[in-house]
Order: sequence, then structure tokens, then C-alpha cells
Amino acid sequence: MLLKMFKPLFKNKKFIIGFSIFAFFVLLGLLGPALYKVDPTEMAGMFESPPSREHPLGTDTYGRDILAQLLHGVRTSLYIGFLAAIISLIIGTIVGTFAAVKRGVVDEVLMAFTNIILTTPSILIAILIASYLRVRSIEIVALILGLFQWPWFARAIRAQLMSVISREYVYLSIMAGYSDLKLIVEDLIPTIATYAFMSFVLFINGGIMGEASLSLIGLGPTQGISLGIMLQWAVLMEAVRRGLWWWFVPPGIAIVAITSSLLIISTAMDEVFNPRLREE
Amino acid sequence: MGRTSRPLLRYLLRKILFLMVTYIIATTIVFILPRVIPGNPLAQILSRLSQLSISNPEAISAVNRTLMKEFGLGKPWYVQYIDFVSKALRGDLGTSITFYPRKVIDLIVPVIPWTLVLLLPATITAWILGNTLGAIAAYRRNTWVDKGILTSSLIVSQIPYYWLGMILIFFFGVKLEALPTQGAYSQGTIPSWNLNFLIDALKHYILPFSSIVISAMGGWAIGTRLLVIYELGSDYALFSEYLGMSDKKIFRYVFRNSLLPQVTGLALNLGSALGGSLITEIVFNYPGTGYLLFRALTSLDYPLIQGIFVILIASIYIANFLVDFIYALIDPRIRLGQED
Repeated sequence: MLLKMFKPLFKNKKFIIGFSIFAFFVLLGLLGPALYKVDPTEMAGMFESPPSREHPLGTDTYGRDILAQLLHGVRTSLYIGFLAAIISLIIGTIVGTFAAVKRGVVDEVLMAFTNIILTTPSILIAILIASYLRVRSIEIVALILGLFQWPWFARAIRAQLMSVISREYVYLSIMAGYSDLKLIVEDLIPTIATYAFMSFVLFINGGIMGEASLSLIGLGPTQGISLGIMLQWAVLMEAVRRGLWWWFVPPGIAIVAITSSLLIISTAMDEVFNPRLREE
Repeated sequence: MGRTSRPLLRYLLRKILFLMVTYIIATTIVFILPRVIPGNPLAQILSRLSQLSISNPEAISAVNRTLMKEFGLGKPWYVQYIDFVSKALRGDLGTSITFYPRKVIDLIVPVIPWTLVLLLPATITAWILGNTLGAIAAYRRNTWVDKGILTSSLIVSQIPYYWLGMILIFFFGVKLEALPTQGAYSQGTIPSWNLNFLIDALKHYILPFSSIVISAMGGWAIGTRLLVIYELGSDYALFSEYLGMSDKKIFRYVFRNSLLPQVTGLALNLGSALGGSLITEIVFNYPGTGYLLFRALTSLDYPLIQGIFVILIASIYIANFLVDFIYALIDPRIRLGQED
């Protein structure tokens, strides 16, 4: 079934481009650190030297190799993105489906809760929470980011399910005595699968962006190297005003390339699956 | 008048109620967080201060006493909470640790205008430009214009404000030396309303302003393009076309209808726009709220951090309400009470 779902996507040029870029960075993050065996935390050469044969992307203030940092950074940022996306997807699906299925008071309470989180700027809450944690593991950062980006998804899921529930086949299942859970798993989840997948893609995007923002103000993971942490170091050491472009340009390009490839993937999926956008 | 204003009033009252409840919850979170997080950071900072006070009893113990009194850590939690809320309502947000003995509110008030001056014009400019571009793309769907706008928007919308800021500083400030690289005005000058200062401030303003406008524009363009495509396929648009109405006229109707959801979008986007611009301020050393927050965060000045959040969240909700108010005025369905 899943295969069937993805097949038409590979006929869409936009999807292929987005998917290739994203796959390239995933491979970079997975294999890069193993293939380019330079320790990103150790002094590897001269201080702040521009790109050379020895250090393809140059070194930073402490003589650490930028390419090695970039490869580890891509890995960490993608990991945080995926983890945050899974958390958001789970919370959003649970809240959205329960609101739609239970209706009444449950619906109202859940939606009020959703709207409150939706109105409260998630990045600010993330900054506030992170500021109180002296030690932040990569997983904790992903959790903080994942906890607050689900509301729009929950609302969309609820709206979509509401319209599905009033259809005949669901009515028949209810008459046949399906439990709420069985109804959700068998009749409802399949109808939101493509939308959920698109949202998942955008959640990864949000996680990567959120990590970069948190790290830039010094609230990222306290161990490890991410793309945001690379940027933070560059800002702290005034790399921009001192013209050390090889330090702050690569992590930014990686962030923009990964997140825009994800956005292109979800836009292409929308074009393929959304009948209102399909071109005649 | 009476008949038409009532639904509007009800709509606005409901919004105010919702935002007030939300604000109470948000400030409660601001209050609870430091007290429930393992290793209570407030207690930690207090014990650190009291250790320091052994070596320098005169200076530190005054800070310590003030903090102890303001956070009231010895009292039961509900007394602390009522204290916190009632003080916050009176504008008393406590005393800063780093800038002791200055009050938190006195530190925040002077930086707010700088943030507003940067954030508001940039956000509105990006909204207008982005929506116009998106509508043009939709109107010329599948031409090179559309493809160009869509592709560049997909990429540009993913550029973090602050990183674009770094790139702009590097090119225009460092390489071309055409524009100042940091601050909101030249060092040594005092903000005043004379021409020289304004020109100086404007020069400093161009780069942070452009970095926000450019990267925020893309998102609006993508959204409006979709909305206009949807609207162009709707029954009323098709019907007008069959009636032989001019393309221009149909497009005007469609564009206006597509902008409505984008007004709501503006309200929802304010938070992340604020977050982005706070970080942009840090990159530019721009003397706004973001820069103050950054200094508070690096020195673990919890009273100041808390105060900034209480103010920021309140301003987001007020802005949210204003946008909703404008929405209610321009959407006839709410004005006439047909949507409930």
C-alpha cells in the first residue's frame, strides 16, 4: 500500500529534485563522519586558515576542521529534526483524532488546549525551558522542540476526520460495533496518511530550524556539534565581521538546503495528492 | 449600527476572553518552570550568590536579600504565585541580578521601541511583497514567472533571518564596506531627533531590515499562490468567467478573498517572526529586546529572563488581538455575524 502511495511521486520532477537533495544530506550525515575521519573537536591545523587541500573547508579559531564539524553537524541536526518530528506527529495525531472521534467536551477541551499552544510562540517557550536546563542532551533539545510544533497539524487532522466520519462506510463500522480504537486504526488513519506524511516532512524542517535558533542564542545541546552550534561559535568568535566566510557559510547552506528540500518534497506531494491543485 | 456591530462585539469579546485565559496560563508556565525543573535553578543561583557573599559580604548580600524577598522561596507556592501575578500586573517584574539594583521593567522598556521599529515595518513589508508575488505567480500559473517565483520562494523562505543577516553583513559591511556592520546607530552618538542621527540610524537599519523582509517574503508568496489557485478554481470565479467578466476584475476579487486567510496567518506567524527577529538582533548587536534577552541568558539573570518573557508573550497576544480585530473589520462574514 505504501509503495502504491509513493509511486506517482517519482513521476513529479519537483519531488525527485527535493528527494535527491534530502537523500544526499542524509547520506552525508550517515556516512560522512565515517569516511572523513577527522575529529571535529580536536585541533587539526593552523588557526582560522582558509580552505586548503588539507582542510577542504578551512579551520576555526581553535584550529578545528570545519568540514568534520559540518559532517557531524548535519548528522546531529537531522537526528534532532527526525526525533522532534516523531514527537510532534504522535502528539498531533492523538489530540486530533480524539477530538474528532469523541466530540463534545473532549473536543472542546482539546481544541482550547491546542489553540493556546498555537497562539503561544513555540520558539519563545522553547527558549524559556532550555534556559533553565543547565545540561541539555541532543534528545532533550529535540523533545523541547517537538512538544510545541504540533497544534496546526492536530487542527487539520481533526477537521479532516470530522468530514470523513460523516461518510457512510464509517457509519457502517460504528453500527457494526467497532470500538473507538479499532475505528481510528482501520477507518480513519488511512485517510490521513498522506497528509500526516507531508506534515512529518515539515516537522523535520521545523526541528532543524528550531535547533539552529536555540543553538544560536546558546541554548542548543550542551554536548555534540550541530549546524546551529557551528553558527553559534562563528557568531561568538565574530567570524562574520572578520571575514572568515568558510566558517559561517557552510552550516547555513546546509540548513537552507536540507530545509528547502523538505519543503519542496511536501509541496510536490501536495501537487500530486491534492485534487484541487492537480493540473489538467 | 446596532444590528451590525453586535456580532462584531461578540466576536471580539470571545477573542479577548480567550487571550486573557491564554495569558494567565502562559504566565503560570513562566512562574512554574524554574520551580519544577530538577535542580531548581533559582535555588542554585541563590546559593551561588550566598557563597560569593562570604568573600564580599557588603556587595552581594544586598542582591541576595532582594532576590530572596522577591522570589519568596521560603513561602508556600500559592503565596509565591499570587505575589508573582499581582506584582506582574502592577508592572513590577523584580530586580535584575546582572544590572543590580536596576528594576527589570526599567531595563526592558527602553529596548522595546528598537525591537518594534525593526520587527513591525519588516513584517508588514514582507507580508505585502510576498502576497503580491504569490498572487502574480498564481495568475501566471505554469509560466516561467510562476516557476521562478515558486522556486526562489521555496528556497528563500527557508533561509533563517539571522543567517541571511550574516551573509549581508559579510557582503555589504565587510567586503564592500558600504554599510555599518552592527548596532542601531554609530557608537558615541546619542539617540536624538536630528537629521544626522536619523540618517545614521537609517544606514544601520538597512541590513537587519532587509534580512528579515527577504527571508520572510518567501513563505507568504508560497501561501498566497496556493490560496489564489484555489480561489481561481472556485465556483464564483468560474461563474464570473462564464459571465464574461474581465480577467482583471475576477483577479481583483480572487486576490481580496485570498488575502483573508493570510491576515489570520499574520497573527499566527507573529511569534516565529518575533523569535527570528530577536536572534537577528543578536547577530547585528542591535540594541533591542533580543540583545537584552541574550545578555540575560548568558549571565543566567533569571528575574530579567522571566520579565522579558512576561512582556514578550503579552505583546504577542496584544498583536494577535489587533490582527483579529482588523480581520473582523474586513471579513463581512464576521461583521454581519454569519459565521459562528
